[in-house]
Amino acid sequence: MVESQARRFFGSRVSRIEDDRLLRGRGRYVADIELPRELAAKFVRSYEAHASVAEIELGDAVEAEGVHAVFTGADFADSEIRCVSSYEGFQVSAQPILALDRVRFAGEALAMVIADDEYLAEDAAEMVFADLAPLPVVLDLDAALASDAEVLHDGWTDNAYVRRAVKTDGFDKAAAGAPHRLTIDLRNARHGAIPMENRACVADYDRGSNRFTLHTTTQVPHLIRAGLALAMDVPESQIRVIAPDVGGGFGVKAQLYTEEVACCLAARELGRPIKWVEDRREHFVASHHSREHRHRVTGYFDDLGRILALEADIRVDMGAYSVFPWTATMDNGMAMGILPGPYKIREYSATGTPVCTNKTPYGAYRGVARPAACFSIERLIDQIARHRGLDRAEVRRRNLLGADDYPWHSPSGLVYDSGSLAESLESVLQLGEYDVLLTEQAEARAQGRLFGIGLVAFTEQTAHTHQEFKQRGVPIVFGYETAKVRLDASGTAVVSASIHDHGQGLETTLAQIAADRLGLDLDKVRVEYGDTNQVAYGAGTFASRSAVLAGGAVTRAADDVAATLKEVAAHELEAAVEDMVIERGRLSVRGSPVVSIDISELCRLTYQRPERLPEGIEPSLESSRTYDAAPGTGAYTNAAHLSTVEIDPMTGKTAVLTYAIVEDCGPMINPMIVEGQIFGGVAQGIGTALFEEFLYDENGQPQSLTFSDYLIPTSTDVPDFAVAHLETPSPFTIGGIKGMGEGGAIAPGAVIASAIEDALSHLGETVVTDLPLTPERVLTHIDQAIAQGEGQ
Amino acid sequence: MLDSDDIGRRRREPAKRAARDEIDMNDRGPVRMKPPKFDYHAPDTVREAVAVLADVGDSAVVLSGGQSLIPMLNLRLARPTDVVDLGAIDGLANLEPVDGGLEIGAMVTHRQMETNDLVASITPLAQHAAGFIGHRAIRNRGTIGGSIAHADPAAEWPAVLLALDGTITLASAETTRTVPGDQFFEALFTTAKRPDELITSVYLSGRFQNSWGFSEFQRRTGDFATVAVAVGCVIATGAVVEARIALAGVAERPVRCPDAEQALIGTRPGRAVDAAIAARDSFEPVGDCHGSTEFRKRLVFAETKRAVTQALGPDLESRANA
Ligand SMILES: Cc1cc2nc3c(=O)[nH]c(=O)nc-3n(C[C@H](O)[C@H](O)[C@H](O)COP(=O)(O)OP(=O)(O)OC[C@H]3O[C@@H](n4cnc5c(N)ncnc54)[C@H](O)[C@@H]3O)c2cc1C
Repeated sequence: MVESQARRFFGSRVSRIEDDRLLRGRGRYVADIELPRELAAKFVRSYEAHASVAEIELGDAVEAEGVHAVFTGADFADSEIRCVSSYEGFQVSAQPILALDRVRFAGEALAMVIADDEYLAEDAAEMVFADLAPLPVVLDLDAALASDAEVLHDGWTDNAYVRRAVKTDGFDKAAAGAPHRLTIDLRNARHGAIPMENRACVADYDRGSNRFTLHTTTQVPHLIRAGLALAMDVPESQIRVIAPDVGGGFGVKAQLYTEEVACCLAARELGRPIKWVEDRREHFVASHHSREHRHRVTGYFDDLGRILALEADIRVDMGAYSVFPWTATMDNGMAMGILPGPYKIREYSATGTPVCTNKTPYGAYRGVARPAACFSIERLIDQIARHRGLDRAEVRRRNLLGADDYPWHSPSGLVYDSGSLAESLESVLQLGEYDVLLTEQAEARAQGRLFGIGLVAFTEQTAHTHQEFKQRGVPIVFGYETAKVRLDASGTAVVSASIHDHGQGLETTLAQIAADRLGLDLDKVRVEYGDTNQVAYGAGTFASRSAVLAGGAVTRAADDVAATLKEVAAHELEAAVEDMVIERGRLSVRGSPVVSIDISELCRLTYQRPERLPEGIEPSLESSRTYDAAPGTGAYTNAAHLSTVEIDPMTGKTAVLTYAIVEDCGPMINPMIVEGQIFGGVAQGIGTALFEEFLYDENGQPQSLTFSDYLIPTSTDVPDFAVAHLETPSPFTIGGIKGMGEGGAIAPGAVIASAIEDALSHLGETVVTDLPLTPERVLTHIDQAIAQGEGQ
Repeated sequence: MLDSDDIGRRRREPAKRAARDEIDMNDRGPVRMKPPKFDYHAPDTVREAVAVLADVGDSAVVLSGGQSLIPMLNLRLARPTDVVDLGAIDGLANLEPVDGGLEIGAMVTHRQMETNDLVASITPLAQHAAGFIGHRAIRNRGTIGGSIAHADPAAEWPAVLLALDGTITLASAETTRTVPGDQFFEALFTTAKRPDELITSVYLSGRFQNSWGFSEFQRRTGDFATVAVAVGCVIATGAVVEARIALAGVAERPVRCPDAEQALIGTRPGRAVDAAIAARDSFEPVGDCHGSTEFRKRLVFAETKRAVTQALGPDLESRANA
């Protein structure tokens, strides 16, 4: 139990500390790092999606101006990325650092050119010719599972990484007894996180100590260290990973990449630092993709629209290789787990198949599988509403978990700790003025305009630790995060954490927590992260967990330090330790505030006047602690989103007009940061809903290689937001905090699909099942609705 | 407040260093891009510029706003041996009323076209269309001459030039000539301009200033047009006596649509729809990631109908419809 302590900064809209640096262009990113004697790397990539490598002709590249070396697969054949799930029957893929005899996706690295600078490396890379003999390509995940499909890895029986199934005991009976059933097939397009900063790394190898230092754009420095140690067979103590400022991650920087291994190996080989900076064209093919799910869901329900049983078949296109540290089963596992969502569904049957195809490997992206799961269940609820002739809000009301249902043991084995689902739904209807919108819609229709309202409720699993990851079959079970708090002799605190801040505002929120626990001003706290030499172990930032886990670890470590301060102060002030109050830079005696001493004075004393310390107290104001949010099943944030759209009937172009959010992530450390996270997430979700899609031609050639082909939402595509908060604390976490970093990105696909379908509902029936809703797809829905309406 | 014309006219200092040098963008150190190697020229006069072009031959390219060329260099889609920057030449960014129309220097920026009063009064269609080009940062740099020379089939200026019966003036070391827009655009990114020639100005007619229309479909604000339609009409005593309808994004070059133009002549009712149908049936736009041929044909219909309705005005069109 954590002792209560006055909250001065917790809960307030403190401006972000890091913004001063970042907004003034004073951030320091990997590409800004210049090491003495560094060389530039350029990768030669496969232009075929699937081919055997006949020969790689280096031609004039080796002799070209400024070139130091050209590496090919054989040079790095001792290393590989192999991430094995503990699920039974998992088929193992081994990703070579540079391709060996076969390439499995367009963009896979075939050779690595090292030259004096990136221009010369680029020039020489053009001289390398890869003779590739095309093999049949496997591009579609359903085609990949056909019995006659080309099998992509040696020794595999088919292209399923694994096949999984869960089923509750009562499912068959409940399904058979249900008066109604509805099945829909849903597709989410393959797309990606698209951070502003592409990937980059600088690898340095010290021959004297046999040690590697890798500066890299990652969210998870400690996991990169673990992955490098495995891939290169080097002890972890010999690897230091540094992630300085990172220009956005969103999951795409939460995996180990072959380029990172290649740069380390090349640095060791050449004895010089090797720098690689990805360009955007590479990013589209070489940085991990995400989101490509296909679900078939069947709802069994009663006359009132209450779901009695839910059935789902989940297929995810995981691309060519299993990625470290998540394996190829992460999205599948998450989707199977969370698909029943915020609803009181007791009977559930799900099958799941992560599929191997000739596409870029698949990694994390904000929301991991939850956008697809939310899309499926919410689309199903809307269809049930239509089937029963009920209002969409009413069907949700009838199915949502109530306050009394917590803790809820979901039919997929999750434990929902707490929430305010019904309340957030009612609040968003108010905030978004649902009643007014219905009138507006009637008016719009009278004028021949297509105006629609979308509504979604969801729960966001956050801060899940060992229980969840054990279940997901990952080789490294992520649990705790670590924080070290140290007061220096000047009386300022340094907080070092195993999480990484790349836009989430954690530098500020962790400082807020530490400042409160230590009774310091915010400017007396510095938060540092991103260096495996700062704290020994931890996982990093992903899965909406850093505020909870690092926040908890900071609380614990700061309280340790505060306890020592109290001992020293009590000794100085000749008072009892229990009577010490720590507040606003001073320690005082409870009840007699004039008897006090400055924290800075205590710090100076502790380090510089050891003779004045009480007996048994060491001259150290430092503590390193971990926190794992036991029982490790996660804290559940919930939210409801309501949005309106208008569609151009002639072109199918959809404009998002309004967007309202009511969200409950428990007590907010900094509401401004919470809102920033939500708005950014929704903006990305609008990309999922309307724009983003990696396209391929029939040979597996990527068609989305620039930002004129791959569209992301810009400021003109994102409406203003209305937002309101509820604060239901988690019974499981320190301070009741819940994670919320991903939530914004989860719902928009479902909300906007719902709104578009609603905008057309007076014309006739059409079921919106595929994202993104490009103008052409929307026009097809308009045609379908009109045809169906006329056919009636 | 600075007049945007002054900003546009003010001589831009070309970076007087080898293109491969590191350029200090700020105190954070070098920012690099990766074009292939080339020689860089920054002539002070048109005469010097065309001399370089004559000298180097067709492996030289001209740099104006750089909003198309620089990306092509960085993607290594263009591999010139020499780059001739027009940024230091005076007198290429003037706007002058001539014979009821507008003579526009090649280096006039999109943004100048969007904000200049002469453009708004003499060629309001051009002023309106300018706002659809990219984002403001692009419009601040990109030039009308660059866009016409580049001849992207989805670009606004080539279509506007056709709709406003424009001409292009070209200079080479030997001679200066003026080519009508209708003969200028030949194929994808290919024009009647010879490699040794420079566009010095374009001319747009003023006779369409009372009846014009422009409508464009873009996936997002600032994107290249999927389809854009520019319409210029001359109306006399309630009847359309001349109509020019030009489309971007429907073929490998900007094109006029004679059938749609024909549909507008006179006073027949329902002309906007007739023209839209004619336009839709005239083209088979190639499909890509932004939409299939079928989809694009529907856009042609929608945008033609809108542009024509705008050109005829609600009164004329509804009177005709009645
Ligand atoms: C993000 C983005 C969005 C854009 N959106 C649009 C859009 O919606 N619509 C649109 O039309 N354009 C758009 N553009 C392109 C932009 O309008 C360019 O400015 C224009 O196409 C070229 O003009 P420029 O002055 O920049 O020419 P440059 O890029 O300098 O040159 C382009 C080509 O023309 C040649 N050239 C340039 N000037 C001359 C001259 N005077 N004589 C002979 N040859 C010459 C060059 O050699 C080169 O081949 C966009 C660009 C970007 C980066």
